[in-house]
Amino acid sequence: MSLVEFAQLLNDSEFSTALRESVYMFPLIEGLHLIGLALALGLLFFVDLRLLGLFLPQLPVGQVLHPLRPWLLGGFLIIFATGILLFVATAAKIITLPVFFYKLGFIALAGINALWFELKWGREVGHWGNESTLPAAVRFAGFTSLTLWSLVVIAGRLIPYLSYQ
Amino acid sequence: MSVLELFKALQSSGFGRFVGSLDHLFCALLELGHIAGMILLLASVILTSLNLLGLGLSSVPLAQIQRSTGKLFWTGLTLLVVSGLLIFIPAATSYYPNDFFWAKFILLGLALLVYFTLYRWVARSDSHHTWLAKATSGLALSLWLGVAFAGRFIGFFA
Repeated sequence: MSLVEFAQLLNDSEFSTALRESVYMFPLIEGLHLIGLALALGLLFFVDLRLLGLFLPQLPVGQVLHPLRPWLLGGFLIIFATGILLFVATAAKIITLPVFFYKLGFIALAGINALWFELKWGREVGHWGNESTLPAAVRFAGFTSLTLWSLVVIAGRLIPYLSYQ
Repeated sequence: MSVLELFKALQSSGFGRFVGSLDHLFCALLELGHIAGMILLLASVILTSLNLLGLGLSSVPLAQIQRSTGKLFWTGLTLLVVSGLLIFIPAATSYYPNDFFWAKFILLGLALLVYFTLYRWVARSDSHHTWLAKATSGLALSLWLGVAFAGRFIGFFA
């Protein structure tokens, strides 16, 4: 079964049809996707700015990273859950849009960047996080995160925009 | 002049017709500006509200959080207002019968009112963790999230 066939099957399911045709459910899920975005990316934005030395530079990095982590991850959980529902509801259309695959690609790259940062630097934040100027690799990770997540949002916003054309 | 007449005048004005005649990509750009502004504003509000609730960056004094997020809040609000007006003006009359459009601006009015009165006052007095601080923070956060929700709903009920 090809990807397109799978998307079509998903799209024709009772659950998908009900979601797509519901008056309030679909906008509600879209709204939650948006709120999750503000929570996850908004707070991640502060972490990235701290890594770049642009937000509360006098505060040790760990004191920004750790208290925000549960909120940030909570936000990502909301985005992923609602994102999957949005995909299920409109799978047949979305699967034909190249911009959807760009979005997935940017998410994967952002995930790799975050994982690399966590394994290489995040665990030992106590050793380097108190310096006024952070290691270049750390600043690079912050900048990469900002750039990639911005691209995810841009590609994501273009999905409904291109769906209606 | 009634509100509907005002909306008609805005839409049919030279500026309204000019913005309306621009490329579709310009429209997508405006919506992206609106989202970027929303992220900046909501992130600032969320961080400050969490602090008032004794959560998030609770080790940082509230005044410092407010100073550090102030610029982002205003940048976000400016982006939202400018992009919002440019989205609104060329199609003003189509928003007039939309209940969610009006709900959004009632919520926005309340959010701004709470933000610049009660919220400011609680933040200045630095009375952390009191029930008033927590209630204010909860109220402000709910109102701002309500604005975002109502805004997202507008497009589905056009």
